[in-house]
Amino acid sequence: MITTSNLSKKYNGVSVLHIENLDIPKGQSFGLVGNNGAGKTTYFSLLLDLIQPTTGHIKNNNVLVHESEDWKPFTSSFIDESFLIGYLTAEEYFYFIGELRGQNKADVDALVSQFEDFFHGEILGQKKYLRDLSKGNQKKAGIVGALIGNPEVIILDEPFANLDPTTQIRLKGIIKNLAQKQGVTVLVSSHDLMHVTDVCERIVVLEKGEIIKDLATNEATLKELEAHFAGSEVI
Amino acid sequence: MVLFVTKSVLILLTLVIQSKIMIKRFLGLEWKQFRRASYFQKGIAIKILLLLAVLYFGGMAIILGGVMFFGLKKLFPDIDPIVMVNNYLIYWILFELMIRYFMQQLPVMNIKPLMIIPIKRNTVIHYLLGKTMLSFFNFISPLLLLPFSIVLLFQGYPVANVILWFFALMCITMSINFLNFLINKSNTVFYGIAFVVIAIVALRYFNIFDITEPVGEIFNGLYNQPYLAIIPLLIAFGLYKVNFDFIRRGFYLDGAISKKIKEVNATDLSWIDRFGSVAPFLKNDIKMITRNARPKQVVLMSFFFLFYGLFFFTQKVYIEEMPYLLGFASIFITGGFLLSFGQLVPSWDSEYYKLLMSQNIPYRQYLESKWYLMVFAVIVAFILSTPYLYFGVDIYLIIAAGALFNIGLNTFITLFGGALNRVPIELDTKAKAFSNTNGFNPTQLLIALPKMILPIIIFFIPYHFISFNAGLIALALSGVIGIVFKNFFLNKIEQVYQKGKYKTIAAFSEKK
Repeated sequence: MITTSNLSKKYNGVSVLHIENLDIPKGQSFGLVGNNGAGKTTYFSLLLDLIQPTTGHIKNNNVLVHESEDWKPFTSSFIDESFLIGYLTAEEYFYFIGELRGQNKADVDALVSQFEDFFHGEILGQKKYLRDLSKGNQKKAGIVGALIGNPEVIILDEPFANLDPTTQIRLKGIIKNLAQKQGVTVLVSSHDLMHVTDVCERIVVLEKGEIIKDLATNEATLKELEAHFAGSEVI
Repeated sequence: MVLFVTKSVLILLTLVIQSKIMIKRFLGLEWKQFRRASYFQKGIAIKILLLLAVLYFGGMAIILGGVMFFGLKKLFPDIDPIVMVNNYLIYWILFELMIRYFMQQLPVMNIKPLMIIPIKRNTVIHYLLGKTMLSFFNFISPLLLLPFSIVLLFQGYPVANVILWFFALMCITMSINFLNFLINKSNTVFYGIAFVVIAIVALRYFNIFDITEPVGEIFNGLYNQPYLAIIPLLIAFGLYKVNFDFIRRGFYLDGAISKKIKEVNATDLSWIDRFGSVAPFLKNDIKMITRNARPKQVVLMSFFFLFYGLFFFTQKVYIEEMPYLLGFASIFITGGFLLSFGQLVPSWDSEYYKLLMSQNIPYRQYLESKWYLMVFAVIVAFILSTPYLYFGVDIYLIIAAGALFNIGLNTFITLFGGALNRVPIELDTKAKAFSNTNGFNPTQLLIALPKMILPIIIFFIPYHFISFNAGLIALALSGVIGIVFKNFFLNKIEQVYQKGKYKTIAAFSEKK
């Protein structure tokens, strides 16, 4: 689904990302981990054509991301608060995204109603603008916004951060369901090794912009990751 | 009453002494905030321009205040200038109140870190209120009235009367300053004042009761009985006290100085759906304008542009000798919104630009929706400008031609200029007077030139060689041509936006 070749990003001659080759097949739940500055958000931004690659390219379903806009209809994402429109209520935001993705109000209502659990009664019918919600609740709205319109690729940057434990567990359920049952390619980055190993079939470790581990998740993965990050911390 | 004043003055004094050191430290913090703010780090050219603007307006006010006496004397030889000024002072006060309501930034201090360290709350509040006294708006009245008072003194008016009158007016300015704070914080006060203002204007308009005279009496009384200056002083103190208590009560994270969380006011906008694919954006833009402080301010400003024509159409010189300048005026009458909103086009969406860029949105639709919005505003302004018929059909036709030019060409020039504008906007904060340098850069100025000069040229050439009507037709026709070639223009503009996309995203995501 997503192929990355010879991709690099440099700022003033300093390389922040360099990926020779990375293939993410359709329907995979893909996890990206790494310390701050490892290049996770840079990679996602390149995937969404928010920054320009220095060399190389990313193909999303055979569409060259930085040359055509045709990847937009089947790709959705939530990276940070700048993906929210602060002066809308959650419902208005969902309907807006729905309209952009060719969904009518009923479609959006039907989809959103599946997540009432996840919202925990704090998002819908609040008579509050998104900018006045707490960070965690903003994130919930943003994540569900990214699920509207049957996207085939969903990109979530640190979706677990700022969420309360109950919501984290529910989010894990949602992501698993998307990848396993609906064949959606889900890309997730996280600092929480446990959550990533729970959710993702495959985990890639970035360090200083390079891939240093590419693991298919099994029982030993969490241990391996923990050992790796503990080790690199000492150095 | 006197006791209360002496008491509060005493308390204030002790507090001032106690908190002198603290206040010094606050000032240090403010200075850092000022020095390190992004607008201070703008280019030297803009700083000089701003300084010139401040000097210009300040100088204008001083000169105006200085010549006011002689001007009034010449125009109304029978009436003492001071009486004349006193009679109309109430309108100045109402005007100032209105300007402040829409423009003055409320004192907001980042109180969170101050709440948990051992500083007396009262100190912080006194500081906060004291800071508002230094607001730019408090200097307008003295700049005007001080020279006026000095002229009065030189003209041999009684010293005590003039000085205390001036003092009383300064107290009134301070009262307005504190009143504005209350109006902004409490809806009841706002509606109360709004009701009074409307009542005054309506009563005068329908010739039922003119408040000018009796209120003039009051101000004249202030001048004639100078000891009455104690009343405005008391009012200023009283309002200070009310503000103080108000903040004191709400000195919590969710209290008075923190940002207010507003209830949602949802209106049904489904009628816009008939605009097809641009409808979602139009709906969004309308919500953006109605729910955020900054765009509201812009809409208000563009309303004032409607009156721009009065400067020109009341002067015979323009109508008889330089009618091509009328074209220039007509652009402003219908183009207020277009010019002030349009020049900041992608910036309005800067807070969520990444969403727009990664969502399923063709750039073209986004731009087209902005175009429709501006066209809609021009049409509304044109309808509102109907009263200009009073100045004759020719004038009205020139406004109509100007409106067509605005729709057909100015919209595209403005959108094109927007592509070069990469200043993020904080939607829900009012622009500060003189610190608002958004969209105030050399490129922006260059883009602004054709918007103003082009209509003059288009009108002038046929007017000069053929006739007035030919000029009118040429101006109108240029707009029609623009509408006909809409797709061509939008495509070109889209390419410019696409080219600058990454730069714009990077600039908008910079921390403010």
